[in-house]
Amino acid sequence: MLFLSMAWRNVWRNRRRSLLTIVAIALGLAFNIFMRAIGDGFHEQMVDNSVRSHIGHLQIHGGGYHDDPGLNKTLPSPDQVQRAIERLPGVRGYSMRVLGDGLASTAENSAGVAIVGIDPQQERTVTTIDHGVVKGEYLKPGQARPILIGDRLAINLKADLEDKVVLMVQAADGSMGADLFRVVGIFRSGSPELDRGMVFLLRHDAQTLFSLDGRITEAVVLLHSSLQVPTAQEVLKAALTKQNVEVLTWYEVEPFLLQFIELDDAFFYIIVVFFFVVISIGILNTIMMSVFERVREFGVMMALGTKPRQIIKLVVEEAFVLGMTGVVIGCSIGVAATLYYASHGMNLSAWGEGAAALGMTSTVVYTKLTAANLLISDSSVLAVVMLVGLYPAIYASRLRPVEAIRHV
Amino acid sequence: MAQVDLENVSRTYSDHVDVHALRSVTLSLEPGSFVAVAGPSGSGKTTLLNIIGGLDRPDQGVVRIANLNLTSTPPDQLADFRLRHIGFVFQAYNLFPVLTAMENLEFIPALQGMPKAERLRRAETLLEMVGLAEIRDKRPNEMSGGQQQRVAVVRAIMTEPEIVLADEPTANLDSASASVLLDMMAELNRQKGITFLFSTHDPLVMERARRLIRLKDGAVVSDENRDPEPAKAAR
Amino acid sequence: MLISASGYAALPDAHELVTKTDLALRGKTQQGKASMTVRTPDWERTLEMEYWSVNPEKTFILITAPAKEAGTSTLRIGSNMWNYLPKVERVIKIPPSLMLQPWMGSDFTNDDLVKESSLVNDYTHEIVGEVVEGGDACYQVLATPKPDAPVVWGKLVLAIRKSDYLPRKEEFYDEKGELRKVLTYEDIRKAGGRNCPMRWKMVSVTKPGHETVLVYSDLKFDLKIPDRIFTQRNMKRPF
Repeated sequence: MLFLSMAWRNVWRNRRRSLLTIVAIALGLAFNIFMRAIGDGFHEQMVDNSVRSHIGHLQIHGGGYHDDPGLNKTLPSPDQVQRAIERLPGVRGYSMRVLGDGLASTAENSAGVAIVGIDPQQERTVTTIDHGVVKGEYLKPGQARPILIGDRLAINLKADLEDKVVLMVQAADGSMGADLFRVVGIFRSGSPELDRGMVFLLRHDAQTLFSLDGRITEAVVLLHSSLQVPTAQEVLKAALTKQNVEVLTWYEVEPFLLQFIELDDAFFYIIVVFFFVVISIGILNTIMMSVFERVREFGVMMALGTKPRQIIKLVVEEAFVLGMTGVVIGCSIGVAATLYYASHGMNLSAWGEGAAALGMTSTVVYTKLTAANLLISDSSVLAVVMLVGLYPAIYASRLRPVEAIRHV
Repeated sequence: MAQVDLENVSRTYSDHVDVHALRSVTLSLEPGSFVAVAGPSGSGKTTLLNIIGGLDRPDQGVVRIANLNLTSTPPDQLADFRLRHIGFVFQAYNLFPVLTAMENLEFIPALQGMPKAERLRRAETLLEMVGLAEIRDKRPNEMSGGQQQRVAVVRAIMTEPEIVLADEPTANLDSASASVLLDMMAELNRQKGITFLFSTHDPLVMERARRLIRLKDGAVVSDENRDPEPAKAAR
Repeated sequence: MLISASGYAALPDAHELVTKTDLALRGKTQQGKASMTVRTPDWERTLEMEYWSVNPEKTFILITAPAKEAGTSTLRIGSNMWNYLPKVERVIKIPPSLMLQPWMGSDFTNDDLVKESSLVNDYTHEIVGEVVEGGDACYQVLATPKPDAPVVWGKLVLAIRKSDYLPRKEEFYDEKGELRKVLTYEDIRKAGGRNCPMRWKMVSVTKPGHETVLVYSDLKFDLKIPDRIFTQRNMKRPF
């Protein structure tokens, strides 16, 4: 305890120098925390957008569908799949879909499209397509061959509400399937892929078109928390081992998203390392100078019988004082800023176009703070400061008392 | 209470030229001695004190304190030995500037692991004894030079060492404060039987010693006993 | 003593050879019937059709059976292609982005139909050897796309019969040099006044188990085919 008091008081011997160092540590940490929170918030929104716009948290298909899609790789037993999903804890919603592709045509133009046959009520428990309808309305059961198309597709085909669109497909039995569908709604999801290339039909209409006879291509599941995804995947796989199905997570379906996040995180860590290096130089200088100024004192200490390792402890404790003070201040600032933007959101419309390409529907980012990240940031700064202090500490402990005492 | 023996102790510093700081010095100090080492600068006074205190190692010869052979003790243990058995007082800058007088006194016992209560009790008692109780919570920069040196001496004896080594303790003091300091050291020597060995080139200080050893060019040139009876232990 | 033609070392000009092949196979005009059977690991289907073509510009194909597809027709003029679907009574233009999709679910793509004669114009040719294919002595011809030619293949290798320049085999390689599919021309006999292969078999190499067999009948060559056949109105005619 005496030592710690000494460490504390030693730090304040040069008030200005210590304050500058502490401020540097604090601001650096606050910046670190805040940027991490922006990044995490941004990533979470990206994932959420993607998950809620179409892909869901988990997808179940017939075995081998993801690598090589085919109309005949339908779920062997949709009822069993449905039951397995219903027994899964933490499920927010699920949808049984029919998937295929084909040609959509109007008198003006034709385009290749991905066709999704849905039960509208089921689908809205998983995705937000229904919120994206900008003209007309969402699909309703009982309508006569309705089709919901994206706004960009509508422009390409020059199709408007109530227009007829022909869908021509190769059916599951190899024959040509074709039918006329009536545009009941136009959606804008924000994702160019969906808006340009995806159409929604009532599931039974899709089954008829593709000669699928009641079969289902895909079960998509939305959980309450994305943290539950890996566990849920294991549970579903275990429940469906006897069937030839594949259970995929969102990041297996769209690895690009996760890869982007990981790349982004990597960039962040590079910046963090750079920041640590810069801060360390400043701290090293501060502590080194304070040691140089006390050579004589260390000499007296050792003459009196203080052991080298106790000298190391003293100097490292001084580093600790600097670091801890900086961390406490920096953490408070960082957390305060983060909490503010967590509820108010940060407007990044300057980078709007890039955001759309990444599947973001809005340019407002809500910062996200996790206790784990906070702890990591705080402790790594503290650890670095104390580690940096180790060099001057060892230097001091290696002073030879006889010479040190004579030091001017 | 320990005997200090030096046998043929030599110490040479090799810088650009060889400096023979001590040449084959042999002497013994009885427990409870009150000794001054005098000589011009460069005569080896500081080296002698450093070697006796275990801060420096002789190139030749043996140093024994209470039958412990200092010269063959490894450095780690030497630090421990200094902690428990040797007190140091330097010419200046003895005290830690960030600590109060009391805390400075607590320093060495705290290193030894003495419990707080006992440390405080001892420190208070000693400060009382030398009449410095009122500066207990003052920092060194709030004391006079003389007060600092006196606190330094008290600190040196907090753990009841065998010997206190003081290197020119009065060099920066005026004669009045020097006198007070010497009185205090003499009193402590008398009451506690701790050996005091101090180096000086001040004749007034030399006069107060009961034994005077003169050094010149690293060798003992005279060794007078003023008072045939060393102080009795009063522990 | 007669010296056989192959004893003379002189090889024909490759480009001339291929031009003759194209003419031998397709004539200036052609019409007839065909039965196309498509096999995949999951299903097998046979379509009956009638067709008319003016080489190399225009093609019109009308599906006559089975009932689900009957009345469906495909019209190709130049590189444009349309389908008519009787069920919805609509003519649909095939966009360029879908030209590589299978035609009517077969191993022939829309692009294959459009590029029937591109072999002559879009490639440079070289005779690289001789093979025996289906019991016939053949020239082996390597066709390499011309620099700006709008073709999807990296190269084509043909086996062309020495006797009458009819093709026996065509191998399709992609731009990476991988073999994608193989077309064999079989059952060569007299029909419509000339020798032609009455059975074409396209086998996919990349998709095992996928093959398409075309069996021709009622072939007629070089008759004048009225222009009105190659119109959208003709596509919609009552069946």
